[in-house]
Amino acid sequence: MADFQGCPGSHMLNFNTQTANDAGQEVGKISSQLGQWPIQMHLISPLAPYYQNADVLLTADCVAYALGDFHREYLKDKSLAIACPKLDSGQDTYTEKIKAWIDEANINTLTVLIMQVPCCMGLLGLAREAAEKAKRKIPIKYVVVGVRGEVIREEWV
Amino acid sequence: MEAFFTKGIKEIIDQYPDVEKILDEYGIGCGPCSVGICELKDIVDIHNLPEDQERELMQKIAGIIYPGQDIKIPPGKKRAPAVSDEMKYSPPMKQLVEEHVLIKRWIALIPAVVKNLDLESGEGRQLILDGIDLIRSYADRYHHAKEEDILFKYFDKDSEILQVMYEDHTTGRGHVKAMLDALERRDAATLGEHLLAYRDLLTGHIKKEDEILYPWMDRNLSTTQVGELFAKFSEVDEKMGFSPDKYLNFIEKLEKQFNR
Repeated sequence: MADFQGCPGSHMLNFNTQTANDAGQEVGKISSQLGQWPIQMHLISPLAPYYQNADVLLTADCVAYALGDFHREYLKDKSLAIACPKLDSGQDTYTEKIKAWIDEANINTLTVLIMQVPCCMGLLGLAREAAEKAKRKIPIKYVVVGVRGEVIREEWV
Repeated sequence: MEAFFTKGIKEIIDQYPDVEKILDEYGIGCGPCSVGICELKDIVDIHNLPEDQERELMQKIAGIIYPGQDIKIPPGKKRAPAVSDEMKYSPPMKQLVEEHVLIKRWIALIPAVVKNLDLESGEGRQLILDGIDLIRSYADRYHHAKEEDILFKYFDKDSEILQVMYEDHTTGRGHVKAMLDALERRDAATLGEHLLAYRDLLTGHIKKEDEILYPWMDRNLSTTQVGELFAKFSEVDEKMGFSPDKYLNFIEKLEKQFNR
């Protein structure tokens, strides 16, 4: 493929797909670990009961499609919100909602899951900005997922 | 070979001194440890070596214990790859590491303090009392209490690694008591001995915690537990209304005095 000069977020890639029953992969139905609704950042109320004192996942929209073990490894026992830092409008509201999670819902931790494409860092930026504005301090972790579903980085901020 | 997995490392090194060199090669500095009750299998686990290096290490140790024999080593434990070469701590563990900085600055000053001990003047005795206050209030009551009352409760208190930490804390408290007794008797030689022994103890203790214990704990704590620890540490800070400024000023004054 010729060198791509455009946005890495829209860079076209065709993976050599592998099926789930390849050696070493578990097969069978996997239960959903989603414990709430709604989940889209514009639709959620940060003070909903399932956010109170919770470990919250703030996930870029694409992550759940890329990360094969998203439900078992990350969503289990967490409360969720999803957003796209590139395409969503009105992201000031997101900052306010994250701040309300920290100060009013007293969340325990915030884990931000993003894709490796540069625009996704914006979601972590929103979380950091909100955390700086908040009165309470909480641990924030970020996880960067590759476009082929591999976890590239997992660190506390 | 498996019989050695559950033996204390000191016992193994006493019997096979070359094992210490092998461990050193892999950055596992058990030799100088004053306790040495950690089992070989736990030591290998706690240092989080890559699977191939763990196997290689065990093969070399087997070569020392059973020279000339073909010993089968069980497969190493598969571990999550390290995410970064840099040491990254979770926020509560980072707090503990940062609290070590002030303690390390104090223990770095101890040789100069001992060299210039003056127990005849009120000023000289006050310097020692201030140093002991830093140890008792900041290092022990504030920092070690966070570990013993909160952090260690998330782990098996009977595990060898925690036993070593508890023992270091107890030994440190013994040195402090001996320092106060010596100060009262104006016995500069004994006071100096205990100050230097405390320095040696804490130097090794902090290194073990920063490089081995805390990273191992971080690997074993869930995200929820990290959040809980962070909240509990913040509660301790709030309740104590603690500010390290007093100790920071003391250290800075001494560093100027001894041109550090």
